[in-house]
Amino acid sequence: MSTAATVSNARPRVTPVRRYLWVLAALLALLALSAGAALLKLGVFNTVIALGVSVAKTLLVMAVFMHESEARRLTRIAAALGFVWLAILIGLALTDFLTRVPVPPPW
Amino acid sequence: MNARAADVDWRVNGTQVEEQYDDATQQREAATLGMWVFIATEVLFFGVLFASYTICRILYPQGFAVASRQTDMALGTAETAVLLISSCLIALGARAVKLDQNRLAAGLLAGTAALGLGFLVMHGFEYHKEYTEHLVPGVDFLQRGPQARAVELFFCLYYCITGFHSLHVAIGVSVILVLVVRVLRGSYGSQRYTTPELTALYWHLVDIVWIFVYPLIYLVGRAG
Repeated sequence: MSTAATVSNARPRVTPVRRYLWVLAALLALLALSAGAALLKLGVFNTVIALGVSVAKTLLVMAVFMHESEARRLTRIAAALGFVWLAILIGLALTDFLTRVPVPPPW
Repeated sequence: MNARAADVDWRVNGTQVEEQYDDATQQREAATLGMWVFIATEVLFFGVLFASYTICRILYPQGFAVASRQTDMALGTAETAVLLISSCLIALGARAVKLDQNRLAAGLLAGTAALGLGFLVMHGFEYHKEYTEHLVPGVDFLQRGPQARAVELFFCLYYCITGFHSLHVAIGVSVILVLVVRVLRGSYGSQRYTTPELTALYWHLVDIVWIFVYPLIYLVGRAG
């Protein structure tokens, strides 16, 4: 490549507006779902639903708004990395805090 | 060609490709990859706070429920909706840039910035309300009862997480406002859209962080 400036005139691909609007509608519906579910007495499922909805929302935002569904594999790996390390951090921390048993002194 | 003329040349003819890249696509992909690596560091930055939250909540489940009930769920839900809508607006804005619809893009980006500012104002009201309710650990914290220490821990985490998040929102709003001006000047277009696209990625990250803040801060122990 000898010249500094290269001209590339291919039109960039874009996502249809309709898809963005559908995703927004889904995100707002999920928000309503998590707010509504929080008001019901569901025991441990309150937390499960709350976090499940958050994961679903995140996947929607990443797949469509952040174009991960059409991204290269390398970009996808980089996108997943932060979450993988975070899962290791929280997972290993929980192996301690979830398995602590109070041991009374023998005297 | 002087710098100014070169700048105009890119606007007219396409993307300036730095010499280390083969073509504009490779350059754009490298920039996108770099942004995702930065986002991974941001995920871990907030992740540490979420990990602390997880451990504290496991240790003090009742205290965290008592504390969460003292946050403003209606305001929190509205803030979440505002950020979700703003994410859609910036995605549409970046799309409009790619299609050379500069005025539309500037409008959508300005709308995103306005929603971001709205979020910050709502959060300001929330902080003020908590201050008047004596819920600021270390400054003015008047909680009594068996859960008082756990409530204090919850509010420490609350201010750390939401404070750093609001800082990210403020940075995002500033960057987007600069983008609005540059889009109106014609600095971006169908051949030159990496900066708006990467700014949108950053804004979506801010949205994703809040998607997890919302249930963990506002929705605990609401039933019964």
